[in-house]
Formats: sequence, C-alpha cells, structure tokens
Amino acid sequence: MKNPTKIFLSLFLVFAVSLFTGCYEHFPLDQDLTRTQNTFLNQDSVKVQFPKIIKDKITVLAMVYTHCPDICPMTTHNMQLVQQRLTDDLKDKVRFVVISFDPNRDTPSILKKFAEIRDITFDKWTLLSGDEQNTKEVMLKFGVKAIPSDSSYDDYGELSYNVIHTDRISLIDQEGKLRSNYKGSTVNLDMILEDIKYLGE
Amino acid sequence: MNLLFALLLVFSNPSDKIKIVHAWMRVGAEGQATGLFFKIENNSDKADTLYKVEFELAGKVEIHETYDAGDDMMGMREVKQIVIPAKSTFELKPGAHHVMLMKLKRDIIKGYEGTVNLYFKQAGKIVIKAQAKEMMKQQSMEHQH
Repeated sequence: MKNPTKIFLSLFLVFAVSLFTGCYEHFPLDQDLTRTQNTFLNQDSVKVQFPKIIKDKITVLAMVYTHCPDICPMTTHNMQLVQQRLTDDLKDKVRFVVISFDPNRDTPSILKKFAEIRDITFDKWTLLSGDEQNTKEVMLKFGVKAIPSDSSYDDYGELSYNVIHTDRISLIDQEGKLRSNYKGSTVNLDMILEDIKYLGE
Repeated sequence: MNLLFALLLVFSNPSDKIKIVHAWMRVGAEGQATGLFFKIENNSDKADTLYKVEFELAGKVEIHETYDAGDDMMGMREVKQIVIPAKSTFELKPGAHHVMLMKLKRDIIKGYEGTVNLYFKQAGKIVIKAQAKEMMKQQSMEHQH
C-alpha cells in the first residue's frame, strides 16, 4: 500500500495548482464593450462608431475635458508617454482614444486643437465628441463620472464651470473587452506598458 | 496713498525676500485653459501671501488647487490666496495648487516664453518669465524684475 502521506500531498498539490491557475487572471476586468455601439464625431467631424473604430486593436482610452488645466492634460500626456515607450513590435497594434465628457464645449475642432497643440497626430489617435446620450452611455460603460462645479457667468456672459471627474485611463483588448483601469494623471507607466505587452503577445 | 505704495514698491527689494524658481506653463490652445506652475521661496522673517496673478494672454486668471474628491475622482477649486510662511517654500505643481490661465487669447506653444506678474502682500509685484512645455519635469527658470 502506498504511503498515505504521499497520496495526500500529491492530491493537495494537484488541488492547489488547479485552484491557482483557475482563479488567476492577468487583468482585473473582462467587460465586453462591443454589445452596443455609440455614435461620435471624430476630430475631423467624421461620424464614427465606438468601439467599432478600435476593432482588433489594443486601445488606451481616457475621458477628459479640454477646459481642464491640470488633471486631463496630465492624463493625456501620460498616454503620449505610453505611445513613446511602445516597442517597435507594438507600435501598430495600439490605438489611443480620447472622449470628451463635456461635449457641449468640446466640439470636434476644439478637440483637434487640444491635440495639435500637444503634437498629437491622428494616425494612431482619435478624439471623440458626441451628443449627451451617447456620451452618457460610454461614461457608464467605463464607470466615469463628471459633475459640473463652480459654475458662473464670466464678464462676456459665457457660462464657465469646472468639472469634478473620474481620473482614469482604461485599457481595452483586441476583442473590445475592457481589461483594466489606471489612475490617469499618475499612472505607473511601467505597469500599463507591461499590460499592453501582455495583450500584444 | 497710491503714490506712497508705489514708492514703497520701488525702493523695496522683494527679490531678497521672495524668490520664484522653476516657473513654467503647460501648452494650451487659443480659447482653452492651461496651468502655470512655479516654486515660491520665502526667505524673509514674515509670512507672505500670493493674492493675484496677471498674464496678458489670458482672459481670466485664478489661483486654483486640484484636490482628491474621493471615489477615483479629482476636482479643482479656486483659492483666493496662498500664504507662504516665513522661511519656507511653497510649490505650485501639477495635481496640486496651480495658476489657471483661462480663455487664452492665442495658442501657447512649446518654447513660448510669457511674462507673468505675481502680486504678494509683502513683497509686492514680482515679474517672472515662464516657458511653455508639455511635461511634468520642471526646469529652473529664475524670476526677473
């Protein structure tokens, strides 16, 4: 008869390995974004469907507003740093998408200026402005909140306001699944690059 | 009274008391907003207060602070002034206190150098130069009078 201790240890090892491999996932999220499409205008005022436009691509995405002087530019800049640090084999596999949660002020031309002043080119980047309904639906998909605050009318009679908002960069895989969220303005670039590399392999 | 105040400003030497370093502004497009950042060194024995900022290419200028609003959200609010205690340093930096330059009258592109007027209760008006860039790493830019 075999040693019962050895049998027990063998069974325990098999159980532990199967438990570990079964539960372990590289990414915390696995949310399919492709079930519904939303209509937006890109920076050239061309109507596009999201997430159809990122089909088969790894996508780094953020929702911002261009009147933000601090957090949103930091988030956008971090996305640029991610792009700059991509290895050659990944450069054509990754797309960058910025969606405004303040579409009343962020028209396509405003978004285009926001990008161009930062030397963002549109071969890999798309900036999107939508109507209220489509914007809200996408915010819901990404768990992004945006609450107007400090609203006032300026000397020119124009409404001025800030927005308290979610500070986030999201990573979407080639199948259109949301896989991970990161703090946008202070993201650990090594971490997001590692995750992109994982998806690209 | 105004004349007396002006004379006081002329004959005082604020550079010994308040020193501005690492001044820079983030690039920004015409009509949009951007941030101005710098470090204030108060070398005097008295606290001083930054209460106003002027920049000719901005339709409106406010001192702001970015704050953590909880639930992964960030907010921004106006602060009327910044007090710098005696013999201390205060840094306006991304993700924290900054000067918000609103309704830009033209594009602020990389490499542009703008003149900014800072007003302190003790040191008076200090004129600085700030270069535009799109980055968080700061470069030294001594203030000028």
